Amino acid sequence: MKTFVKPYLLLMILSLVLVTAACGTAANNGDNHGAASNSQAGHEDGHPASQDDVSPGDEEQLDEPITIEHAMGTETIDTYPKKVVVLEWSLAENMLALGVQPVGVADMEGYKNWVGAGEFDASVIDVGTRQEPDLEAIAALEPDLIFAVDFRVAHSYEQLDRIAPTIVFGSEFEENLRDPYHYMEETFYTMAQVLGKTEKAEEVMAHLEGAFENASQALKDAGRDGAPFVISQAWTNQNAAVMRLFTTNSMGSQLLEKIGLHNAFESDVFQPNGFETASVERLADVQDANFFYIAQDDDNPFENQLKDNAVWNGLNFVKENRYYALGGDMWLFGGPLSSERVVEKAVELLTQ
Amino acid sequence: MTFGGGLLLLFVLLFISLAHGQANVSVHAVLEALFARADKLEHHIVWEMRLPRAVMAMLAGSALAVAGVLLQTITRNPLASAGTFGINAGAYFIVVLAAVFLPALKSEMPLLLAFVGGACAAGMAYVLAGGKRSTPVRMALAGMIVTLVLSSFTSAMQLLFENETNGLFLWGSGSLIQDNWKGVQHGWVWIIAGLVIAVLMTRALDMLELSEETAQALGQRVDRMRIVALLVAVLLAAATVSVVGPIGFVGLIAPHLIRLMGFHRHRLLIPGSALWGANVLLLADIVSQMFRSTIGELPAGVVTAILGAPWLIWLALRSSREEAAAVGGSSSMSIGMLHNRLPYPVLLFLAVSVLALCSIGSLLWGSTRIPFTEWMAVLTGQGENVLLQLRMPRVAVAILAGAALAVAGATIQGAVRNPLADPSIIGVTSGAGVGALLWITVIPSASAAFIPLASMAGAVLSAVVVYALAWRKGLHPTILILIGIAVTAVNSAIIHFLVIQSGMSAAPALAWLAGSTYAREWGEVNMLLAFLVILLPAAWLLGKKVDLLAFGDQTSMGLGLKLQRTRIYAAGIGVMLAAAAVSAVGTIGFIGLLAPHAARMAVGHNHRRLVLLSAVLGAIMLVIADVIGRVALAPKQIPAGLIVALIGTPYLLMLMFRSRMRRF
Repeated sequence: MKTFVKPYLLLMILSLVLVTAACGTAANNGDNHGAASNSQAGHEDGHPASQDDVSPGDEEQLDEPITIEHAMGTETIDTYPKKVVVLEWSLAENMLALGVQPVGVADMEGYKNWVGAGEFDASVIDVGTRQEPDLEAIAALEPDLIFAVDFRVAHSYEQLDRIAPTIVFGSEFEENLRDPYHYMEETFYTMAQVLGKTEKAEEVMAHLEGAFENASQALKDAGRDGAPFVISQAWTNQNAAVMRLFTTNSMGSQLLEKIGLHNAFESDVFQPNGFETASVERLADVQDANFFYIAQDDDNPFENQLKDNAVWNGLNFVKENRYYALGGDMWLFGGPLSSERVVEKAVELLTQ
Repeated sequence: MTFGGGLLLLFVLLFISLAHGQANVSVHAVLEALFARADKLEHHIVWEMRLPRAVMAMLAGSALAVAGVLLQTITRNPLASAGTFGINAGAYFIVVLAAVFLPALKSEMPLLLAFVGGACAAGMAYVLAGGKRSTPVRMALAGMIVTLVLSSFTSAMQLLFENETNGLFLWGSGSLIQDNWKGVQHGWVWIIAGLVIAVLMTRALDMLELSEETAQALGQRVDRMRIVALLVAVLLAAATVSVVGPIGFVGLIAPHLIRLMGFHRHRLLIPGSALWGANVLLLADIVSQMFRSTIGELPAGVVTAILGAPWLIWLALRSSREEAAAVGGSSSMSIGMLHNRLPYPVLLFLAVSVLALCSIGSLLWGSTRIPFTEWMAVLTGQGENVLLQLRMPRVAVAILAGAALAVAGATIQGAVRNPLADPSIIGVTSGAGVGALLWITVIPSASAAFIPLASMAGAVLSAVVVYALAWRKGLHPTILILIGIAVTAVNSAIIHFLVIQSGMSAAPALAWLAGSTYAREWGEVNMLLAFLVILLPAAWLLGKKVDLLAFGDQTSMGLGLKLQRTRIYAAGIGVMLAAAAVSAVGTIGFIGLLAPHAARMAVGHNHRRLVLLSAVLGAIMLVIADVIGRVALAPKQIPAGLIVALIGTPYLLMLMFRSRMRRF
């Protein structure tokens, strides 16, 4: 008798497992189409009330559907999305620049502390970390569209795309690593196109160009055009100052070069992320430049750890008081709003 | 030679480290700075950055080496060191915790924090290993487990607080960067004091190496001596960790180098180890500075791990004879039983019912509520629900991966006859990590879909290496585990190296390594299912033969059991299952340790029963961990690996404590 019990129980476990899996697979089969058609149905005849809450696009129905080829596939847009979830800060900033409030944003608190450009409405929902945003919370928002970047969603793209059409930007594509400003522009215009806000986007970019012009004029007036600079992001690691020194293929450097400044820092090899991580010693080579830094107020190595440091105090830009704090909430990986803030702050500091 | 040569080498290395750095300072300028310092930037760089760094490396190297000698002597364990006892991991864990929650405290008293953390970790390892009655291997294993627990905590913290802990990823393997003399000022008093006490204790330490009876007869207050030496060792390690972070293996390399040269009396062993410890770390630091990338320098600890792991393997192979004699009964699988045992069928039925309830509950419960009407619609096949499509594969993956990890643990423990063996300890888990990262970094454009395959290849390869190295010693269980620990260290060094060299932001790599059921798909479910359908029955069938392994080599041989073959089959099944699980959910530890333990308490040593009950218990654990991770801090997700560690650690401690009590 006993010998029969064991296989029976084994079967039970296996069948439990199989049943669970089978349920899922069955549900899975129809689901690609199901989710997509669901979200569209919800859009066309669904929630008219909620359409008033979010600022609508310039047009409702497109004459010709837009086909977007993105980093992880192709997406066709035939109606402008109303409810958009954004999973990366730079993309959230782009939405704000376009005057569209998303319904969900990843890590809103972090956005406030590190990016600080623009404001979200009180109705915008935080959907969790940028690393592992809560898929259920996103699904519960019933979005029409999701914006994400490639390195965050390598594992979750398929599930996101099932919740709503998902457009992924290739921040890690070679050409984008070499020219992040161009990548920002491209991303911004793509998002504007999808949201039906192309005119607004052109307006924003024109405004940004204007800001660049004003900035370079202000520098010329002050006789600072062509001035060499180093831009860095700094924090402490075990009481030692650690700095990201940005190379020319970084947004921060490109912005300052656009207004007529010159990046004095060069790395020995190509830095794909646009920066080299270094210690204070590395600054000896660029001590004649103007030094811009971003550091959080509660973790500022220049005001604390390095204050009495002989090497730091021996650097020419420290002796001549040419080092400038841009503030903690300046995001060097952001969109047009961040770009304008960085440029204006830098000029203000250089010309005061 | 040992001392003169060592000193000469130290001067050479010191000069090299002063002459190399991120700024160009000529040899001439270095000499000028040393002998005629002026108010020049180059001279400041030499005096205020490079010299403190080199001095810190020498101090830290000496401290870790001497801590290693002390720990080796008081535990009579050639494998003891601050790293293998979990002291480094404990100190680091507390510091990371403080960095997130009490930043003020962290910057004010890092030493105190590190000391408390290190001492607690050492205490934990000691209790886990069974106190005084532990064998060297049990002790090393316990330290390894403590390290695993704490580092899975630590990496989860880093994952949840990406920005706050950004720099700490590198510090996790030790960073010697100094901006001024503060680090040295902070650490040298404690380190020198520790070294001096150690030197003063040399006679007493010699006594401790004699047998305990002899030492007592000689009038030494052995226990007090032990405690003092232990505290000094923790102090040395904590002072080091609080300045430079956890650096492993120096405490193994230096003392054994000196012993090899024929010095066994502490009078020479301690100064010799201090000198060579300084040399080793200074050299490691020079090498590590050569590998700098967009996200920083290679941590010195990575270099020491690559230097030190072969030592550990060599030590393990060498000390196998003594170990074989000592192991006999002490590493038996008995770990305590419940007194009122339920009949096995009832037990299994109960466990399966609990699993069913947990699974259903886990489907019902999430960060978003699914209305009952929708449930009915789905159940009657009339509706679709996006939430369920997100939740179901996750729950299914949790069930299957939990079962796979638990069965892997049970079979591997049976194969190596040690209840502390676990897929993460014999190198399988870290091997999977290397495989996955190699795939991500070497072919960055390659599809993420093949990461599971790459990680499986890494896991199997790692296990093959461990087995091949242990082959010569007849796959002796002890040796196998020690080599596993060494290979694990090499693997994690390689992981660090890859992260640094590829310059990738640490977060995605850490996310994978922390072990998570996030965003898992039906593809993973099917893969796990295929492995389980084949390997679970195989493990069950092999159960009877594995039972016989428990009698010990002589007896099993007498019974005509082909030991090697059974061991290889059992371990092979375990490795494959663990590899499948790791490739699906990343590196989730502990389930392979906890589930079989719990099962063993209920059903004893019958492996067939053990395998089935472990599978169900493992599934329950991971399902619960998954649902807590989804719901507790929603919308923030907590990796299942961390939850398992959170649930598992107290349970493991309790188990160990009980089994220790029983033996008294």
